[in-house]
Amino acid sequence: MKPSWQSALHCSVIGAAHQRQGKPCQDASMSCSLGSAQQELQLLAVADGHGGSRYWLSDIGSREACRAARAAVEAALRQHPLKDQEQWLRQLQTELPEAIQQRWLDAVQRDWQQQPDAQGAPFSSAVYGCTLGLVLITPQWWGCTGIGDWDLVSLEPGGEACLRSQETLEGGAAEATTSLCQADALSAWSERAQLQRFSAADAPAALVLSTDGIRKSCATDADFLQLSRELIALTSTTELERGLREITAQGSGDDVSVAIGIYQGATSARGRSALRRWLPPAVVLGLSAAGALGWWLWPRPPELSPLERQVAELCQAPAQIDLSLSQRQGQFAQLLRQPTAAQALINEPERDPLGALIAATANGTSALEACTPLKQALNAHWQAARKTPLQPPRSPQTPAQP
Amino acid sequence: MPFPNVRLSNRPLHFIYLCDCSGSMAAQGKMQALNQAIRQSLPGMAEVADQNPEARVLVRAVRFADGAAWHLAEPTPVQQLKWRDLEAGGITAMGEALELVAAALQSPPMEERALPPVLVLISDGQPTDDFDAGLSRLMREPWAQKAVRLAIAMGHDADLEVLQQFIGPEPAGGGKSPRRPLQASNATTLAQYIQWASTAVVGAASMPASRVSGSGESGSNIPLPDLPPTLLDPTDDVGPLVW
Repeated sequence: MKPSWQSALHCSVIGAAHQRQGKPCQDASMSCSLGSAQQELQLLAVADGHGGSRYWLSDIGSREACRAARAAVEAALRQHPLKDQEQWLRQLQTELPEAIQQRWLDAVQRDWQQQPDAQGAPFSSAVYGCTLGLVLITPQWWGCTGIGDWDLVSLEPGGEACLRSQETLEGGAAEATTSLCQADALSAWSERAQLQRFSAADAPAALVLSTDGIRKSCATDADFLQLSRELIALTSTTELERGLREITAQGSGDDVSVAIGIYQGATSARGRSALRRWLPPAVVLGLSAAGALGWWLWPRPPELSPLERQVAELCQAPAQIDLSLSQRQGQFAQLLRQPTAAQALINEPERDPLGALIAATANGTSALEACTPLKQALNAHWQAARKTPLQPPRSPQTPAQP
Repeated sequence: MPFPNVRLSNRPLHFIYLCDCSGSMAAQGKMQALNQAIRQSLPGMAEVADQNPEARVLVRAVRFADGAAWHLAEPTPVQQLKWRDLEAGGITAMGEALELVAAALQSPPMEERALPPVLVLISDGQPTDDFDAGLSRLMREPWAQKAVRLAIAMGHDADLEVLQQFIGPEPAGGGKSPRRPLQASNATTLAQYIQWASTAVVGAASMPASRVSGSGESGSNIPLPDLPPTLLDPTDDVGPLVW
């Protein structure tokens, strides 16, 4: 049986601030395939060490958390058939949390005995404190559990990104999170546990698990969801690492981690086509090259220009249209001030496809081959920009930028 | 730029002064000392901000006397801030000042991804309006609950009890603590406290480490840095007692 999911990528990158301070990366991540052909399971995990001086070994804590998660899931996989979904929901709610926490405690206690700086001090798991999020993906269901401020986003067949799990703490404590070092926090795991069945027709196109540094690097939650969509277009660990470096440098400065599972849908033409609708062709080719023979049997779509791809992406996710255009209000205004800047954007659509799309519609959308919601939104944004009093340009030489 | 449709952003850190401008602040050069202390602290604050580019330090100030009003209404990047002198005159509408800040801490205008704000309340007297109502209004805002709240008492007529209420529960044990009102009895000490709040505290708030929920660690949302050694012991206070 061919797997329906491709365990894609995982990557952790040290935060810009930690790098500057000479601290280690306190995040860890993992993606791996477990079990046999009959018990195929993909595991994604991310862990985030707390990082403060009180948690001075949390880089080790997060690595051990990922290892403990893998060992505990492997042990459960040997005992329970994946088709027993009720059993696996219980696993996610209570049994895996207990097993992972115990394995983690054993591991960090062993590490403590090797620590030269421990000097006979009594062991405290708090110094290894970290969060842990894990996602289990099978051909029939996916599930998640964990503790702390990790986030899970699913990318639905239509291209919409949905936040499927986040930490919600009562009270106003800032930067607070639950932790693997809290022995009494098992209930926090069960609050995050869920198991979602799917068929080939409604399988999510991808699942993106991330530590909080990713979300905190985005201006808004809408940007975070958009970033999740764009992260899955990165097809190699090198690209992903480069992307994560950019995220932490321009964003929160925190360590950042993601683990991504992409639906391969070997048995589902609908699932495959849904993914293809909104993944750039380069990604589709990348996924094919990764080993899905069935992928090559599909009819190849005509190659789209960057501008056509942009139109297709927006039309596949109408909820994103206004959001995307609203972020470019300055660009609409700038193009009104400097109509000549439009040509530069149109000439290089690969540099800024959305900018090129906006520039190409400065004189109306009648010639644009696009869905009605996109045309209407473009017209509305141009109209709004024209109603806004024009401000003098900051510099007459400045090209139009988003 | 690998993510053209995503707004990646450093995190705003709102630093808000709440300054008592009542008539008593005109006495013994207190107003002048406060203006001077804030002005002198700005280069150090800007330096800390530059060292922590992941935080965007934005300063605002509220003045309160007969009423409360924004003295510096726009969240201003500290590097661009030019301090305009406060003037004393009137009574002490501290409660109204808290309500003004509460409105500013609503979301929006507060950004989803902001760092916990830093609120510094400076006063030499007692509130003359409904302080409890103002505090209650302030503390209904989640961002106020998350904020680092500091208070500086100028002289010995300041109402330490209301300042403590503003900060939150008093820590156990005696001695000076950032979780208690800081008592500045002269211009030098005031300047040291303002300097500490605008550098050490801003530095800590700029890159906060995660804290474990319910662990009881620190009484503050952000682990506060130690006070400067010269301020740890009241007998170390520098300069004559003038207020």
